[in-house]
Amino acid sequence: MRRPERPDLRELVGDEGEPEELERLRRVHELIVAAGPPPELSPALAEPPRVGREAFRLRRPRRRLEAVLVLAAGALALMFGIGYYLGAREGGFETEFTVAMRGVGEAAPASASIRVGEVDEEGNWPLLLTVRGLEPLPKGGWYELYLSRKGKPVVSCGTFRTTGEVTEVRLNAPYKLKEFDGWVVTAHLPGGRRTGVVMTT
Amino acid sequence: MELAADLPSALPRAPRAATIPPVSDDPSDEELLQRVGAGDRAAFELLYRRYARAVLGLALRRLGDRGRAEDAVQETFASIWRSAASYRPERGPGARWLYAVARNAISDRGRARSEPPAEAPDEPSLEAGPDERAEQSWVAWRVHRALESLREHERRLIELAYWGGLSQSEIADLLGIPLGTVKTRTRAALARLAEALEEQVR
Repeated sequence: MRRPERPDLRELVGDEGEPEELERLRRVHELIVAAGPPPELSPALAEPPRVGREAFRLRRPRRRLEAVLVLAAGALALMFGIGYYLGAREGGFETEFTVAMRGVGEAAPASASIRVGEVDEEGNWPLLLTVRGLEPLPKGGWYELYLSRKGKPVVSCGTFRTTGEVTEVRLNAPYKLKEFDGWVVTAHLPGGRRTGVVMTT
Repeated sequence: MELAADLPSALPRAPRAATIPPVSDDPSDEELLQRVGAGDRAAFELLYRRYARAVLGLALRRLGDRGRAEDAVQETFASIWRSAASYRPERGPGARWLYAVARNAISDRGRARSEPPAEAPDEPSLEAGPDERAEQSWVAWRVHRALESLREHERRLIELAYWGGLSQSEIADLLGIPLGTVKTRTRAALARLAEALEEQVR
């Protein structure tokens, strides 16, 4: 049988003790009930956002022992069910770290997050870009994500189009991230004209 | 909502019980903010562990949408990193400063919504007004932050007791400890939470 949402303080702590202490417990009890449960963090929020140049500092390569542990964990996950395993991997994309982006100028209402996966042996950093609120461009136009230095686009990580709501697209950065200090998005309008930066980290 | 109006902004002080050791020797929020302001990445990570769930809870209350709320968490902490150097401990507790930064970042994200404004209802709403909602948000912020200051086993007890839908006997069975121990530890955890909440408003 499930208990009611609001637990009984007397059941929790009994009624022995100084009146002042019981009153103190009652007040904290009321605060907890009023606050409600804290949300659980998704895997994307398990680590703090990378800030400043830290966002581009390479992590040490995984050691062989860690790789073995990962394999063992994978085998265990299989034992407990493929569904659980896939759920824990966030749709199959394993995030190493996340970088937040914000819109600038007319695109100020837009936001985005770049989830950066583990680099492969060839030096490819898989990216899962989620963009919200970035207006769709006229037919024939597209957006482009660049690694940047001092806010200037340097090398392209790929292009994408948006719906104006939520767009999720997988891209790739085959570069040494530590050589850059941010990401920016530019827009390419029909006719080959590129705008200034519309989003930045 | 009557409950919100009755909520205390500060708990009555009580002498620290001799049986309850200090919450921890962890640095205060104020110390951490000053270290973050000086570019200390480790302090930033510690602050994130303390406040991420509180920020997400606030963002979910304000924005409703999980994706936007998660973006707002990222933006809040990016903003904390950028502006921590402007924090002055003499102007107020760190928890309140962090709350203000989070609220601003979340409001920015809320303004980014391109939905048309809702029409005013004909009947008076029974939902909480802005003042009450603000009070509820602040209470949730403080409680969620304070929960992070508990030891893992204490936090688990509180979460099971309040939001797990389990009786004390069921918690005892689940954790494999005597019922009396569950009650003693729950009481100690509540006392520690009271202490942590007092700490925030000092």
